[in-house]
Amino acid sequence: MMVQTIRLGHVLRETVSSPTRDLVTRPTGAAVRTRIRDEMARSSCRTMALDFSDVRLLDFSCADEIVAKLLVTVPETECYVVLQGLREDHVEAIDHVLTRQALAVAALPAEGGPPGVVGRVSADARAALVGVGRFGGGDPMRLAPLLGWSEDRTADALQLLALLRLVHVADGTCHPLTRS
Amino acid sequence: MTRVVEVPTYFDDRAFDQFAQGFGAWPPDARILVDAHAAQWASPYGLIGMLTAGQALAEAGAEKPLLTVPKADDTRRYWAKTGFFRHAEALFEIHGKVPRTAPDQTSDVLLDVTPVRASEDVHAVVDRIQDRASLMMSEKLHLEAKATMGFAMALSEACQNIVEHAGTGGWVAVHVYTWRRRIGRKVVVIAVSDAGLGFRRSLETTQSKRYGDRWGDASALEAALIQGVSRFRDPGRGQGLAGIKRYLTRWQGKISIRSGTARLSIVPEWDDDVPLADQLPFFPGAQVQVVIPAQVPEP
Repeated sequence: MMVQTIRLGHVLRETVSSPTRDLVTRPTGAAVRTRIRDEMARSSCRTMALDFSDVRLLDFSCADEIVAKLLVTVPETECYVVLQGLREDHVEAIDHVLTRQALAVAALPAEGGPPGVVGRVSADARAALVGVGRFGGGDPMRLAPLLGWSEDRTADALQLLALLRLVHVADGTCHPLTRS
Repeated sequence: MTRVVEVPTYFDDRAFDQFAQGFGAWPPDARILVDAHAAQWASPYGLIGMLTAGQALAEAGAEKPLLTVPKADDTRRYWAKTGFFRHAEALFEIHGKVPRTAPDQTSDVLLDVTPVRASEDVHAVVDRIQDRASLMMSEKLHLEAKATMGFAMALSEACQNIVEHAGTGGWVAVHVYTWRRRIGRKVVVIAVSDAGLGFRRSLETTQSKRYGDRWGDASALEAALIQGVSRFRDPGRGQGLAGIKRYLTRWQGKISIRSGTARLSIVPEWDDDVPLADQLPFFPGAQVQVVIPAQVPEP
């Protein structure tokens, strides 16, 4: 599946008048989110990788305006969102705002490997996402023995991942969100 | 008729109530003279508190207040170095010699007194402070690099409270100094103050019914700082203060917010402040102080 990378540092520079690498304040976050939504509408890709590599500071307000509010509206767009280029302090800010609102997003680790989760999901869903990444996806029948779970438990966890758009689902099979 | 408001000799957050008491009822019915003649020292909280008073008086349509500058040369110079007089000149009729010292970017004044009116000001504050904060926090406060990012986040959120809730402008200042009286270590102090609505009025529409007879400045602060509620119904709101609290817990920091007649603090082990002080002398708007101590005691 095609992935489009949106470099937030670049979007930020196009959004605010002064040169800055800091994603701070709600108006800035809302303006950046609007540009991301516009990009989503124009793109033929269904997965958007938001790249934080060029972002120096991300505050809680901006994390809420960009990530949380985007996730709330993403189901209307049929898009998937994955984060990349995150530093530890970025993760903390995003995790804080998502956890408070019972939201979650997939995040690609800087060192490579399958995506993890930032935000609030059940322990089973978190473990299942790791399984989907490690074992290259599959349906409950395939993943249950690999996870050491019953099929029902695996199906519940995968269903939650699908609802939260943390995995791609095609023909009943879950696939990990990949990097661009 | 002139009412004299004496600036405490050692003007920090604890002495602030004495300063607020001096104004009597708000708005005062006489011209105000803020007498800093005997002042020896002021924290950033004290300095921007004085500017807030001047701003509140101007917005209330009061006659321009008077301000006498400190007699002590060191004190005058320090206040000049913080940028205090540059802003005070617009709000007060100043009496006494003001040193023509430019704000000192090499000193312990991490951020000189800076007005905050709009989101652009928050961007500018955050941008200006980060490189110096990083150096100072690692060298003088022995804090890890990631503490600097959390510090900048806390600063950003504290300033945004003015833009989002005050309904008017405010002030921010950040200093590093040794807090001998309370902790005996270096601390970095963020002070943010505005002359705006205050927490009670800001939250009244959405929260007062919930609290009934208990509603007041103290319960409004409790709702905002402890329960993380906001005047906006958006579930994503109220994150700023919650995030600051989380950051301060990790670094044994302290936050205290004074609004109207109450002050609420999250008190770390090293401090003996009371969590809630109520029925204090009224002061307009809201005043926030965030303190982060050095992590290793100095010899």
